[in-house]
Amino acid sequence: MRSLTRGHVKAGFDSVRGAKWRNFWTMLGIIIGVASVITIVSIGEGVKQQISQQINHVGKNVITVRPGTIRTNSTQSKSDFSVLSGLSITGSLRDTDVKTVADNKTISASAPLAAVSTDVKGDHATFNNTFVIGTSPDLPELINQKLAYGVFLSVDDEGMNAAVLGTTIASQLFDTDVPLGHSFKIHGEEFVVRGIFDDFGSTPLSDDANYNNSIFIPYDVAQRITKNTAVVYEILAKTESASAVSPTLSSLQKSIKKNHGDQNDFSVLRAEQSLAARSNVLSLLTNLISGVAAISLLVGGIGIMNVMLVSVAERMHEIGIRKAIGATNRQIMSQFMIESSLLSLSGGVIGVIVALIFDGLMRFFTNLRPVISWQVVLLAFGVSLAVGIIFGTIPALKAARKDPIEALRSQL
Amino acid sequence: MALIELNEVSKVYGFGDASTLALDEATLTIEKGEFVAIMGPSGSGKSTLMNVIGLLDRPSHGKFSLDGRNVAKLRPNQSAKVRRDTIGFIFQSFNLLPRLSVLENVALPLAYRGVSLSKRLKQASNMLERVGIQNREYFLPSQLSGGQAQCAAIARALVNNPKLIIADEPTGNLDSAASRLVMELLAEIHKTGNTILFVTHNPELTRYATRVVYMHDGCIIHDEKTALGQVAATARKVLYTLSTTTEDDDLAGVSALMMALPNKPTVRPARKPTKRRTAKPTVRRKSKTAKAAK
Ligand SMILES: Nc1ncnc2c1ncn2[C@@H]1O[C@H](COP(=O)(O)OP(=O)(O)OP(=O)(O)O)[C@@H](O)[C@H]1O
Ligand SMILES: [Mg+2]
Repeated sequence: MRSLTRGHVKAGFDSVRGAKWRNFWTMLGIIIGVASVITIVSIGEGVKQQISQQINHVGKNVITVRPGTIRTNSTQSKSDFSVLSGLSITGSLRDTDVKTVADNKTISASAPLAAVSTDVKGDHATFNNTFVIGTSPDLPELINQKLAYGVFLSVDDEGMNAAVLGTTIASQLFDTDVPLGHSFKIHGEEFVVRGIFDDFGSTPLSDDANYNNSIFIPYDVAQRITKNTAVVYEILAKTESASAVSPTLSSLQKSIKKNHGDQNDFSVLRAEQSLAARSNVLSLLTNLISGVAAISLLVGGIGIMNVMLVSVAERMHEIGIRKAIGATNRQIMSQFMIESSLLSLSGGVIGVIVALIFDGLMRFFTNLRPVISWQVVLLAFGVSLAVGIIFGTIPALKAARKDPIEALRSQL
Repeated sequence: MALIELNEVSKVYGFGDASTLALDEATLTIEKGEFVAIMGPSGSGKSTLMNVIGLLDRPSHGKFSLDGRNVAKLRPNQSAKVRRDTIGFIFQSFNLLPRLSVLENVALPLAYRGVSLSKRLKQASNMLERVGIQNREYFLPSQLSGGQAQCAAIARALVNNPKLIIADEPTGNLDSAASRLVMELLAEIHKTGNTILFVTHNPELTRYATRVVYMHDGCIIHDEKTALGQVAATARKVLYTLSTTTEDDDLAGVSALMMALPNKPTVRPARKPTKRRTAKPTVRRKSKTAKAAK
């Protein structure tokens, strides 16, 4: 029986090859379905891995305070997007919140991030899309980021026009490679460069990448030059130990709520939560693309059913011959089932190849790092095989149940 | 015990006003080792009889036992297995699978039996050697001549070592030389103990048969034993009395056949000399009309 199956597989390949173009269009649905399933799963997997790397990088005992409420439920898409952009704010954090966090006893380090919208004047040009962020000396420790040159803002710099630059903006503002001690203008005021950050590794769906294009100045200076209109979009804080995170979270929650007049228009998040919020966007996207994939697999399956029905009709005479020389209904059935499975499996293989190409393109053109695991490839093959079997059943049954005489009589 | 026993077997096609009685209470017993020719005009039910005996079709009424087993009411899968194990089919239009090589075609019945690949290819190759076209093993059916294709089909019919071989107009698409080749081959197979049933419109081919069954309107109207090498008596009568175009063509075909058989001790009917000259073109016309009639 096994060698017969091998014969069927060979015959199946022959007939799949025989009608190349027709079969290609038939497989298209499967190809699209499989490729999109693999792509989205691999993106999700990649983001998950990057996020967990980030958590390890930043540390588990970092607490983030953000304006607006964040529901870590994937169906609440609205707040997800506000988290993504970071700056579109529903509530707001205040100066008092910054103090509250800094004064908390269990917090060892904290830094506000306040956005200053202003223009920056360098050696040659004026930039008006640069991020100027007012923050405190603890920032490098909180985001676990080293400086390439110089030092970060210190406590002594409070009230001084000192700045630390991201790598991108540093090279754009100045002609020299290492512009330590050089000065430039923010909001018409002269600032001196104290240090330059290392490159911020870019991660998907986060605004860390922007830090390469950011200028960090002391928080109080930021408030001064904007006349207290700098928007605090995040406060980062770190507890001494990981065990202190939970009590600190609730005490912060309580005290900030008091600041806000008993309103819950802010969120206090642990590291996992603040990063997971990002993946909510992804899960929305995943649902969407999974829907597309399911539909294209369905369409692909129907296409396969059609092509198999045509194939069965075209090969009635052959079926008659096979039955005359002793093929049982089951043997005819399995012949056509194998053929439809091969057809959809080939679609699956092509889909995997397409997904691999997508993967390469994404790695090249975006900061996404999709991870194609063997499990998802196996799943794709399984799904396409299942589609072939499910949608091949009706045509195969039709072939198997055909009366031999009628089949023999039908002409090509 | 007879190999085939038909008892008042009928086959009705369609129903109501449109029904056709293709077989009308046919009763027929065929012993093991017989070489039976079935003759009769077009539409007389010869193919229907072959299909019923070959278990491709189920009789509407009557009893039918094959090799001692009642097979009138077998389920499709069971009859497929009986076909596979005990019957070899030879068709007028060869019916080889166009996408398989000659060797694979011949090996196919073994595949349905579950024989391993190497074994079945070997057996198929032996069978092709037996029918004399082993050098065409890897050809596609479309690359064979009609005679070679029919030889391959015979090899396929034989490969499962069937008790019964059923050939519905095996020479219908062949010229006289190829017809002779095919009939000689069948005669040889018959000698090894096989039972063969074949349908023919050509009375001359009854020479090969040990028995001739005549059909008309679904009934078996005459049944005679005949000596090998002799045209059956009734068939000969048909040859002279019914001088239709078809019979004429048959005669011409036979004359060509006989030319190719110079050494055979045969009892030949006297023929008008003009037939000899027109032999070849008429043969071709015959095969055309036969196809057109299908
Ligand atoms: N599937 C069918 N449906 C209806 N009628 C049929 C069917 N098959 C055969 N018949 C009828 O049964 C009768 C016998 O047909 P059959 O094919 O057995 O004749 P035959 O003797 O083989 O003729 P020929 O010499 O032309 O091959 C014919 O009248 C034919 O019309
Ligand atoms: Mg017929």
